[in-house]
Amino acid sequence: MYLGIDVGGTHTDAVALDESGIAAQAKVKTDHNDLLASVNAALEGILTTVPPGEVTQLNLSTTLSTNAIVQGTTEDVGMLVVAGTGIHAGDFMLCKDYHALAGSIDHRGSEIERLDTDEVKAAVESCRKAGVKVFGCVGKFSTRNPLHENTIRQLVGPLGEGGADAVTLGHELGGRLNFPRRLATAYFNCAVWRVFNQFADAVEKSLGRLGLGHVRVNTLKADGGTFPLAQARKMPVQSIFSGPAASVMGIIALCDITHDSVILDIGGTTTDIAIFVDGQPLVEHDGIHIGSHPTLVRALKVHSIGIGGDSAISVLGEAVRVGPNRLGPSQADCVEPGCACASDARPTLLDALNCIGACAHGNVEASRQAVAQFAACHSIGPDVLARQAVEAAAEAIHKATRELVDEINDKPVYTIHELLEGRRVAPRRVYIMGGPAFAMKEPLRQRFELFTVVPEHAGVANAIGAALTRNTASLELFADTERGVMFIPALGHRENVPRSYNLKDAERDALNHLLAHLSEMGVFADADNAQVNHATSFNMVSDGATTGRNIRVKCQIKPGVAFTLNGRPNGQTGQTRTGR
Amino acid sequence: MHEAKHSLGVILFPAFDWSISPTHPEREERLLYTQDQLKEEGLFDIEGVDEYKPGVAGREDVERTHFCFPELEAVATRSHLVAAGGCITAADLVMQGKAQKAFALVRPPGHHAMKVVHGSRGFCNINIEAVMIEHLREHHGKRRIAVVDTDCHHGDGTQDIYWHDPDVLFISLHQDGRTLYPGTGFPKDCGGPGALGRTINVPLPPGTGDEGYMMAMERVVMPILKDFGAEVVINSAGQDNHFTDPITNMNLTAQGYARLTELLQADIAVLEGGYSIQGALPYVNLGICLSMAGLDYSGVREPGFDAVRHGQRPQIAEYLAKLCDTLPELYFNPPSLSEAMQDGKIEKQDGGEWFVRHKDIYYDTDGISEAQTESLLLCDSCRGLLKVLSRSTRNPDCLGVEIPLGACPRCREKGLSMYEEAQSRDGYRYTQLINRADRKYERHGF
Repeated sequence: MYLGIDVGGTHTDAVALDESGIAAQAKVKTDHNDLLASVNAALEGILTTVPPGEVTQLNLSTTLSTNAIVQGTTEDVGMLVVAGTGIHAGDFMLCKDYHALAGSIDHRGSEIERLDTDEVKAAVESCRKAGVKVFGCVGKFSTRNPLHENTIRQLVGPLGEGGADAVTLGHELGGRLNFPRRLATAYFNCAVWRVFNQFADAVEKSLGRLGLGHVRVNTLKADGGTFPLAQARKMPVQSIFSGPAASVMGIIALCDITHDSVILDIGGTTTDIAIFVDGQPLVEHDGIHIGSHPTLVRALKVHSIGIGGDSAISVLGEAVRVGPNRLGPSQADCVEPGCACASDARPTLLDALNCIGACAHGNVEASRQAVAQFAACHSIGPDVLARQAVEAAAEAIHKATRELVDEINDKPVYTIHELLEGRRVAPRRVYIMGGPAFAMKEPLRQRFELFTVVPEHAGVANAIGAALTRNTASLELFADTERGVMFIPALGHRENVPRSYNLKDAERDALNHLLAHLSEMGVFADADNAQVNHATSFNMVSDGATTGRNIRVKCQIKPGVAFTLNGRPNGQTGQTRTGR
Repeated sequence: MHEAKHSLGVILFPAFDWSISPTHPEREERLLYTQDQLKEEGLFDIEGVDEYKPGVAGREDVERTHFCFPELEAVATRSHLVAAGGCITAADLVMQGKAQKAFALVRPPGHHAMKVVHGSRGFCNINIEAVMIEHLREHHGKRRIAVVDTDCHHGDGTQDIYWHDPDVLFISLHQDGRTLYPGTGFPKDCGGPGALGRTINVPLPPGTGDEGYMMAMERVVMPILKDFGAEVVINSAGQDNHFTDPITNMNLTAQGYARLTELLQADIAVLEGGYSIQGALPYVNLGICLSMAGLDYSGVREPGFDAVRHGQRPQIAEYLAKLCDTLPELYFNPPSLSEAMQDGKIEKQDGGEWFVRHKDIYYDTDGISEAQTESLLLCDSCRGLLKVLSRSTRNPDCLGVEIPLGACPRCREKGLSMYEEAQSRDGYRYTQLINRADRKYERHGF
């Protein structure tokens, strides 16, 4: 039995399921001041029907790290930064204990300027004086050569008393090039390290108390994968913003997606839009922003717009609009049956959907009254207002989707082949989930003019997604045969390679190291799910003669689910479809 | 974090799947380290700096600009069309207000490609700046354009294309032609009879460093630019003046480039040459990007820099000071027609006066020799009808006729009838008509 818990902004959803379907589900309000209580309540809800002994795995998606950052409950970090040449290190100052150090490594990984160890020691000492316990060491081009970061790591001293409680090295965050993002990612990883580890301790204690001490615990990442809790304790920053990914993975578990598709998760305040290409969710090109800081944290490409069931309807001139304001829940939800609406009640999208008969949610009569009153204020017929509001919402979602697809298709490419023959994304299906999914299905189908699907269980798709999401991992390999070195930054693995080392060797090594890394973490990964995303080899020429090859390989375990719930013969999890 | 003072669009297209030959300077690897550097600096995360995908130039974009013999497909590959397309994208970004400035970091380069194209010279097939300028004129209604070519090699292609165009100011700063390919670009070459003083050549002695370049910029380029009042300023930003460049002999640094860029304030920059792909390009391109965006570039320093070794000898400053005294005169008081006509003569043909010059052109990259006779109908009401007879080791007799932008009715009529006659007279293997008056571009013979 797989357990999935998604701690969301409003609700905490939990499901327990196996290949025969959903065994139990629970929904509790999220208490942002005590996430552990929300998790416990959800777990207890599940355990009323599911015996603890049957549970083998728990996947947890939490807003803990995000909350810590938003609420400012993070701790001070000592940042030891080697920025070398280029944009000044001072421009990226993220925190008060920020030390820009001398030293420089170039794009090939050559040391141009040495580290000044006295300066490093002085910086570490000054951090200690300020009471700093966690450190981030980040160098420009450290993903080409980690020498400076490793040296600083040595100088910070061992973990524990007198040294540091945690140290994050920039190159361990992955091999992608982007120094400011590496800085920010290392900073946030350190800043939430203690909060996350305390939470992890508490969760493990709860599990023991509830008889779930034996289960494997994974944490969801924003890239549509999970990683073991032990790993998450080292890289808590990766657990940030995993909510949208849980929903997207839920759709994969519920539907058999093979084409380019649009996924719409319509919530109370927002609609999340995701794009699938050939049945695979798209991963963000760079990484998510935390606050105003771009980071290296990989995430599924999800675009949010301010339109949801509780979005207020407004009239501007002749035009009826929906959102982006949310002035409160719909009248259908907040007016007791038999009572009259307040005279200034603002109807929402859900009320409009009630009026046009697309759904019968809550107090339908209250919705009708509110829409009629609002329509009268603007001298429009209530039916016209409701219809136009629904159309406006569908139009806004369609427009945002089109912009997202254009953005994906306009992404820069670097070869003539990709530019002229590159595949363009053209969605052919729309999958909708979330509260108003069924009600919005027909309006959206008309606007998109595409095959539209609302899966059953669309309401708890997020928790299902959380439960079934597989482990993922990715790494980059960089080799320079002129120097005779191969380096995998994420693993801190550096080895000598012969001059004959080529792209094929590099691809093989990258995949082998990825799978070995997962098995070290105690994760079984199917080699079939490992894929090379990017592989290039450039001949390096000097004075008219080839001197070596510059090889770059990226590989990953592609995101996916443990099993799918679609096409069950008993129809329990069948889909409702409408063709064109 | 910081924010760009001027929003900047960068079209980064390294064409990782195209080279002239595997070990040629113009190969796949050329912009690899530049891309690494820009990514590692997080340039495109800076507010106001964005990366864009290049468009692809169409047949008409090129045929509006060049006479291609025997035809476009024979002289330009897809990579050339993408490089030109990248420039067009840069122009569109600025014209549509999506960015205040744009930098087309594309390859291969184009500034050695002349009006007539039989093949590749100096690694260039089609002139990507000229294609962009004609796009600006045709689609954005611009007319007066200035091109400042800071590539180390003389921009002889751009000079040739705009030799007779008084609305394009072309200023080239380059290593003295007596010491470097293509061996041209002397002060006496200052434009055709209708555009005297609109071509300014600044030949710099080998060894010129940051101070020398700044002197030429401050004393020659900037005063002329100010007087000319261009609607759009373009920088052909070749980067082979760098002290590490393997095929030139100058001493410019990344800081020097950034300062030059800051002074020039070009609307659009286009990468031209520059083949020190590890030691110079990553830093120079970063410096140019930061400088164009109005950001602090003072931390940009290339690894090999040595203030003493890469300084400029005092004799160079003396030589340049004298040169800078005389050059602005060429623009402000151009020489008389008779003085400036050493490369051509005026002939009377069918009722009109024509300026006629002969040119022998060698295409070093492709090994083609071309003999060309260019005739310009001297006209008081427009730029004048242009006729080019060309023959090369690759193609037999070819004819190109251009009815210029803003042509007067007489030149237009004459051009049309001349092109028609050329068809029936059967003397030419290939003919091409550029009719800017009616926006019609025709070719025959293939």
